[in-house]
Amino acid sequence: MKRGHTMPYEQLEDSFSGGCSSAAGGGGCSGKGKMWEEDGGVDDELLAVLGYKVKASDMAEVAQKLEQLEEVMGSVEQDNLSFLASETVHYNPSDLSSWLESMISELNPQDPFSNSSSSFPTNQVYEDSSSFDSDLTAIPGKAVFPQIENPAHEPQVQQPQSKRFKPTTATELSSSSSSSISVGGGMWGSFQSESISTRPAESTRPVVLVDSQGNGVRLVHTLMACAEAIQQEKMKLAEALLKQIGFLAVSQAGAMRKVATYFAEALARKVYRLYPSNPNDPAFTDLLQMHFYETCPYLKFAHFTANQAILEAFANKNKIHVIDFSMKQGMQWPALLQALALRPGGAPTFRLTGIGPPSQDNTDHLQQVGWKLAQLAESINVEFEFRGFVANTLADLDASMFDIREGETVAVNSMFELHQLLARPGGIEKVLSFVKDLKPEIFTIVEQEANHNGPVFMDRFTESLHYYSTLFDSLEGCGSGGELGPVSDQDKLMSEVYLGRQICNLVSCEGVDRVERHETLAQWRTRFNSAGFEPVHLGSNAFKQASMLLALFAGGGGYKVEENNGCLMLGWHTRPLIATSAWKLSS
Amino acid sequence: MGSKFFINDNQDVLIEILKRLDGRSLGVAACVCKQWCAITQDDSLWEHLCFRHVSPPPEGVRTVVLALGGYRRLYMVCVRPVLNRLRKWKPIGVDQSASDSEVVRRVYWTRHEVELSLSLFCVDYYERFLFGGGGGGGGGGGGGRHGGDAACTSSLMFLCNAVNV
Repeated sequence: MKRGHTMPYEQLEDSFSGGCSSAAGGGGCSGKGKMWEEDGGVDDELLAVLGYKVKASDMAEVAQKLEQLEEVMGSVEQDNLSFLASETVHYNPSDLSSWLESMISELNPQDPFSNSSSSFPTNQVYEDSSSFDSDLTAIPGKAVFPQIENPAHEPQVQQPQSKRFKPTTATELSSSSSSSISVGGGMWGSFQSESISTRPAESTRPVVLVDSQGNGVRLVHTLMACAEAIQQEKMKLAEALLKQIGFLAVSQAGAMRKVATYFAEALARKVYRLYPSNPNDPAFTDLLQMHFYETCPYLKFAHFTANQAILEAFANKNKIHVIDFSMKQGMQWPALLQALALRPGGAPTFRLTGIGPPSQDNTDHLQQVGWKLAQLAESINVEFEFRGFVANTLADLDASMFDIREGETVAVNSMFELHQLLARPGGIEKVLSFVKDLKPEIFTIVEQEANHNGPVFMDRFTESLHYYSTLFDSLEGCGSGGELGPVSDQDKLMSEVYLGRQICNLVSCEGVDRVERHETLAQWRTRFNSAGFEPVHLGSNAFKQASMLLALFAGGGGYKVEENNGCLMLGWHTRPLIATSAWKLSS
Repeated sequence: MGSKFFINDNQDVLIEILKRLDGRSLGVAACVCKQWCAITQDDSLWEHLCFRHVSPPPEGVRTVVLALGGYRRLYMVCVRPVLNRLRKWKPIGVDQSASDSEVVRRVYWTRHEVELSLSLFCVDYYERFLFGGGGGGGGGGGGGRHGGDAACTSSLMFLCNAVNV
């Protein structure tokens, strides 16, 4: 079953569970219940926006099913889940309830609801809640989240844990909660008050209070609430929430803490309008990227898959010219040079044109990199020529500058560069048109697989929170080189700084300054198709090589290569993070 | 005094024997005495070790490998870790019910693994060159790089033994 859209619940679980088994599945539904109505009610708003139809009255049941599914999945051997993604057909995934049921029955052919919970009379829980007009329903489950006091009323006060929910507060909120998502403080209010109290006396399931988990979910919700406040220009409120985030973030450990810190910093910059004034020093960015290259497989995957596509496109050609939009330190090219050197039939002549930003300190950085590559090429007997172009932005270039010679086959390569062009109107169109003028045999692109370029700030914020949480999670697993401890810690730290800068730009900048405008593969596909390109499928060689490369990484269990209509995506567990695709001119 | 056979007098026999050892034993052999140490420095032994189980043997590789640092380094930095890791790895598409022993004891390695090892080796060379002997380029990134044979560059650090998380 191909799912183009990951379940919000599972995303939260993956990103934030960090090893705690009773993850946010139960109460972490960021969806709130609507005003509970006797007749079973309407579909939950938030989930409906995402495409799922869940009645408010079914929320408890759905939560239970999610927990069961999680349990069943946990007890199944890791590899046996892959059939869920590929072979099984699940109908109507928007009907969350029956979809979960079918998944559970797939995994657990015995009666999935054989445990006592199935006999748990859901009505019993609602009996008490019907006494107050609340849009909050008690969702029984393994995790209980202590309620949070509405911070607008008492910014500095943290409620003690496990207090029973007060009906009065509920009525204050419920008046605004029936509004639709895009309007009013209702949404953030319900985020805050989404925490649920259960009635241990009545529930037939054991209830466990897990503090740090509660804090984790609260942290996420506070971050989102703060972003929402900023979107509505409620700066005082945002400031108050920022302080809360500070407290909550230090109570976390590991990836969650780091992600929260970076996002909090970015939000603070936005609130106080402290935009990073100096443009990013490219030498420093290169350095950070080198550490990122060393710590985790994303860049290596990108390089190796793109190289494989280029190799296959150049199978019989003797004069090759590669134009690299993202020269940096040239780490992609040694592997290609080596593969060309060992090509049956001899090495072709290889010409490389590298494009980079102007350097701050007057050194000709591109030339240095080119010189080193030339020395490498010479030692392995490949005829090599290098030319460097300095350009502030790719849109400044045009085809005539490249001096394409007679009989040359051209390839264009771009690693995480194209999304930056989306900051200025017309940029990407100009670049695509001059690439077409170059008549390349192949155009390889690697981009982040996420939509961080929507018009609504809140959407961008939420998307990027999930994306970077997953990314940081994968970094946690990347500790390598035990005996050379200090080096790897430094690498990891620098990688985190590298990602942190992206977060900062994405969240706090606007307009032409915001260059981290990531878009999904589907969006790029549409753009390329309408610009006159057609896809080139990456073959099984690329897939095998990528899989092998990932198997070599110590944290290897989490990384997954996926093939998506001829493009390869690298992800962490269920979430694809970067995508490689190749294109040629449509005939 | 009868004619005794002393292995150190028969270097060609010694080499033939050493050729059949696995990597670890070859390393141990290098510690036996000065003569054995000198013999095991010879790259052809390591070449044999790297590629004797590759079928068909790759062509033209020798010039490239020698240019990038030699077979001994190739073995230590790339081949040994790659083979070790991949032996425990179940490739995608293999029938999941295949017994563990089949996969774990794989000795022959495929063209893909050879290519991958060579690519990684080339990256290693470039990195050493970029940050080491190539002048001040790179701004001293990733401090702690050692110049010795055995240490691998940071980009291949992921092949070193990981700490169990």
